[in-house]
Amino acid sequence: MVSASAYVPAIVLLPFVSFIVALFGRDNLPKRGAYGGIAATAGSLALSLWVLVSVRNGAAFQETYYTWATGVGSQPWGLTFGALIDPLSALMLVIVSLVAMLVHIFSLGYMNDEDERDLPRYYAGLGLFTASMLGFVIADNLLMAFMFFELVGLCSYLLIGFHFREPGPPSAAKKAFLVTRFGDYFFLVGVVAVFTTFGTAAFAGTESFPALAEAALNGEATVWTPGGLEVSTWFTIVGLLILGGVIGKSAQFPLHTWLPDAMEGPTPVSALIHAATMVAAGVYLVARMYGFYVLSPTTMAIIAFVGGFTALFAATMGVVKRELKQVLAYSTISQYGYMMLALGSGGYVAAVFHLTTHAFFKALLFLGAGSVIIAMHHNEDMWDMGGLKDKMPVTYWTFLAGSLALAGIFPFAGFWSKDEILYEALIHGLDEPLILGAYVMGLLAVPVTAFYTFRMVFLTFHGEPRSSLARDPHPVRWNVKGPLSVLGVLAVVTGGINMVPVQKVLGIEGIDYLHLWLDNHWGGIEGLSSHHYAELNPYSSQYLFGGEVSTVLAGAAVSLGLALGGLALAWALYNVADPAEHTDKLGGLKALLYNNYYQDEFQVWVADNTRAVAGSADTFDQGVIDGVVNGVSSVSLLSSERIRRIQSGVVSNYALLLTLGLTTLLVVFGLIGGWF
Amino acid sequence: MILEALLAVTFAAALLVFAAPDEYAPKLAFGLSLLPIAGSLYLWSAFETGGNALTGGEIAFNTVVPWLEVAGYQLQWYVGLDGISLPLVILTTFLTSLAIVSAWTPIDDRKSQFYGLMLLMEANLIGVFTALDFFLWFVFWEAVLVPMYFLIGIWGGPRRKYAAIKFFVYTNIASLVMFIGFMMLVIGLPVNSFGLPEITQSLAAGELGNFFWLPSETLALVAFAAMFIGFAVKVPVVPVHTWLPDAHVEAPTPVSVMLAGVLLKMGTYALLRFNYTMLPAQAEYFAVPIAIIAVVSVIYGAMLALAQEDLKRIVAYSSVSSMGYVLLGLVAFTEFGLGGATFQMIAHGLISGLMFMAVGVIYNATHTRLVGDMSGLADRMPIAVWILVAGAFAYMGLPLMAGFAGEFFIFVGSFGSTVLPYAPVFTAVAMFGIVIVAGYLLRAMQGTLFGPFNLETDYDLDRAPIHDVAPLVALLAAIIVLGVVPSLFFDMIRDATVPLLELLGGGAP
Repeated sequence: MVSASAYVPAIVLLPFVSFIVALFGRDNLPKRGAYGGIAATAGSLALSLWVLVSVRNGAAFQETYYTWATGVGSQPWGLTFGALIDPLSALMLVIVSLVAMLVHIFSLGYMNDEDERDLPRYYAGLGLFTASMLGFVIADNLLMAFMFFELVGLCSYLLIGFHFREPGPPSAAKKAFLVTRFGDYFFLVGVVAVFTTFGTAAFAGTESFPALAEAALNGEATVWTPGGLEVSTWFTIVGLLILGGVIGKSAQFPLHTWLPDAMEGPTPVSALIHAATMVAAGVYLVARMYGFYVLSPTTMAIIAFVGGFTALFAATMGVVKRELKQVLAYSTISQYGYMMLALGSGGYVAAVFHLTTHAFFKALLFLGAGSVIIAMHHNEDMWDMGGLKDKMPVTYWTFLAGSLALAGIFPFAGFWSKDEILYEALIHGLDEPLILGAYVMGLLAVPVTAFYTFRMVFLTFHGEPRSSLARDPHPVRWNVKGPLSVLGVLAVVTGGINMVPVQKVLGIEGIDYLHLWLDNHWGGIEGLSSHHYAELNPYSSQYLFGGEVSTVLAGAAVSLGLALGGLALAWALYNVADPAEHTDKLGGLKALLYNNYYQDEFQVWVADNTRAVAGSADTFDQGVIDGVVNGVSSVSLLSSERIRRIQSGVVSNYALLLTLGLTTLLVVFGLIGGWF
Repeated sequence: MILEALLAVTFAAALLVFAAPDEYAPKLAFGLSLLPIAGSLYLWSAFETGGNALTGGEIAFNTVVPWLEVAGYQLQWYVGLDGISLPLVILTTFLTSLAIVSAWTPIDDRKSQFYGLMLLMEANLIGVFTALDFFLWFVFWEAVLVPMYFLIGIWGGPRRKYAAIKFFVYTNIASLVMFIGFMMLVIGLPVNSFGLPEITQSLAAGELGNFFWLPSETLALVAFAAMFIGFAVKVPVVPVHTWLPDAHVEAPTPVSVMLAGVLLKMGTYALLRFNYTMLPAQAEYFAVPIAIIAVVSVIYGAMLALAQEDLKRIVAYSSVSSMGYVLLGLVAFTEFGLGGATFQMIAHGLISGLMFMAVGVIYNATHTRLVGDMSGLADRMPIAVWILVAGAFAYMGLPLMAGFAGEFFIFVGSFGSTVLPYAPVFTAVAMFGIVIVAGYLLRAMQGTLFGPFNLETDYDLDRAPIHDVAPLVALLAAIIVLGVVPSLFFDMIRDATVPLLELLGGGAP
């Protein structure tokens, strides 16, 4: 059998090849690039599954493939590309390649069947996007991760701005790249700091930076710190710097504003960005280098708090949106907030679990929304929909499954993962008040989530059609229904990979597969296990009502109760034949929420003022700095008339002047230097 | 003798083109410019890395011929290469050929003179990067200005006279300051030649004496400052940068390509060769003020670019910003800092060349460079536009393109510098340039390339001919190759810059 390390690069290269083919093949390709993309991502998926199986059989590995640059002297650092294949990355590879493949198939219906222009460019972008994300997932060091992280940003720019002939998409693409670039600035400073501090950026092994950091904190190793800073303080700073990139890409407060605008991109692209690639990259990065983050209680608490806050903050904005994709956009921000909450409160497995379930149900919801948008002839306003339930049953039932998962209703996938996040936050929050605050915010977001989700479902599919478009929707084909069905099943059953509450309450051992998987139960890389992270975790666990089981039950009951409450409210208000816009009763609050707390206005204000400062700098430059230059020249040359006299335009005169000048200089120096 | 042959061929090519009739000049110039490329590629293949040419390392392809004796000083024909200069020679030959092709569309007047001057400039540039005797080097250094002066002054835009004179006078005064500084240094040394290796090694051996009443310590500082000022104008850094946007805006596209791509590198190359090789202790003494200049150049230059409405001015100011990174790498004086600075010279040469050419292609087609005059060009000239987009991302430091390699090496090198106090702060502030560069380039692209097509000029949009686009493709390919395989140049650069660290006893943790 070929060793796993030999074919791992192919997982990344296959979609890259499809990018190249689409780029140069242009319109000569079958289905203008779609088939190539489907074949490539299917190949990646097959290889990823093979990797998953081989990791299950204990074949996790880390290998360097290519040395990009090295130092030899005082900075003997290797800047390399390699693969780190362990349970985490193997799982993520499957998620990314699966969602990417389904998005490619769906695009046949959404893009090809709708006769969009420039499809090879679209499929080239999708291919590069998938390749970049897969390269990011397998990265075995922080620099390589950063490089692919940036390429993911480039691809999002190209795809969000796909419809460049309209004014909106290019603007949204610019905003997405710029806001995430702002976060990536901190990330890059962090990468540079990691190299300077540890001399390596490797994720795994005894010479990796998390391992060295752990040793340094135990006094077993010495590392560079700037200006003799305390080691723990410096690690906190470095962790926060890298977190800047995470907050940008994973759309956490306050850098979340690009994400709703990114809805300007084609809907399949939204599915890919939100479910499995760009936004997931940030959270994945924290999980990837969790051994470093877990060493700093301050950073952990900040991650948890930002996560909890974002979960609630974004959920409130989702309540008042009119457009289908906007609701989903805010739900994405909110759900990634939950993952951050989990990571910050020590729930490593819970975060990865939610990353997995969310990837499936959010891809499902976006593709479902895409299906509705096809049916509605690209009208996205939910107030023009209604009653689509009977006309598009496959879309309705799968969308409903995704919505139940998103709302966290038992027994759908989202229930299990969200419940575990809240449980982790609760038991560690009882030890650390800041985490408890984050937990409360996460809990408050639960009913809000259920409410906006089902407001969306009822407005779109139930009641009477509210426009002629909704009365006579455009039919969708197999290439839309197929991906929806696959994801619909996954949204229902994925919770089964990690039924911790069942295990704890009923006492059945061994059904928390994801815990075992991430704990290197079937093999993995030393030092990258959830067990190891739990040992380093700064918090201890506290339980309510005197026991683990009662805490599990109480936590689940509260979150499920709140979710059902939210659902019931949405049902009462919107599951009627002709619903009214009840959120209008919120008055000024609605305007505040609808305008996203005026966050975008604030960013526009920042951008305008930066331009204004730049304008003043320009005036200063022209007037003062260049003014001095021109002033000096007019004074020293007495008058422009004199200049004109030497501007004869005859080449030989200039040469003569140059030679004369040089000779004069030589003579002067000769005299001063006493050569003659 | 291979370097002499390279120089001779390039000069001969220039003469030949001068003599050729106008209608043959463009193609002839391009054909002849392939010879220096072949020569530089031969040099690359035959080159064996062997340390720094000035500090006693092996000097590749060197020739030393005594020339004449002035006041007890032996002037020599002394040329040679090391890992720092070879990449610059390759850049020069490669970029000149492409610039010549990019001139085919815009230059329609006095062609044989134009192309002759381009080749003459190339020959002098090769001379600058290969000369190892100060006088020889200085002759080439000054002689580069002459063709550049005419290229701007004759084929430039409406204010070409002003721009050309400003460029010429400004850089010439700077050269004078540098010349004085260097001469004071030489007079203080017990050497009898102007060979740069001899002077460097004499300084390293601590043989600097007094210059009249000036004690040697002060002399070294004064000489360092004078040379720094002289070279800083050429780079250029803030606040002596104002000649650059004027020169760029007035210069025709191919001349801008040469100016940004190669001529600016003369300044940083000389800084590395003179200030940072000969007087490293003084470089350490001046580290903080120079780092401030570097950081201000990065941020202020980028802010100026953000304020511009003319595409060419945007790219021109962004050069000030990018060259600030190079200066930061030099100041840091570490392995990756010096190596990154040199690598960034090459990377920026290619990327700014690409950007100027791409803006030129747009100008050829639209007859305007103002952001407000056009929108949605991606619809009408897709290939040129998408290459411009790729070039812009290269400028923003997208990984796996050459710019990222150069910038990352500089950042990672300078962050922990022991030469520069507060190095992490300086580095982190300078790095913010990567956000501003994204801001102004994305803004300019959104305004001109995307949105509904519109063109507010009296002209119709012309189609970009294949010979306008081909050089862009070649540059983009080079940028990607160097970004993916930076070791092509970085290894030889590193071997030539690492010996410098020993002059100061290490550099970084």
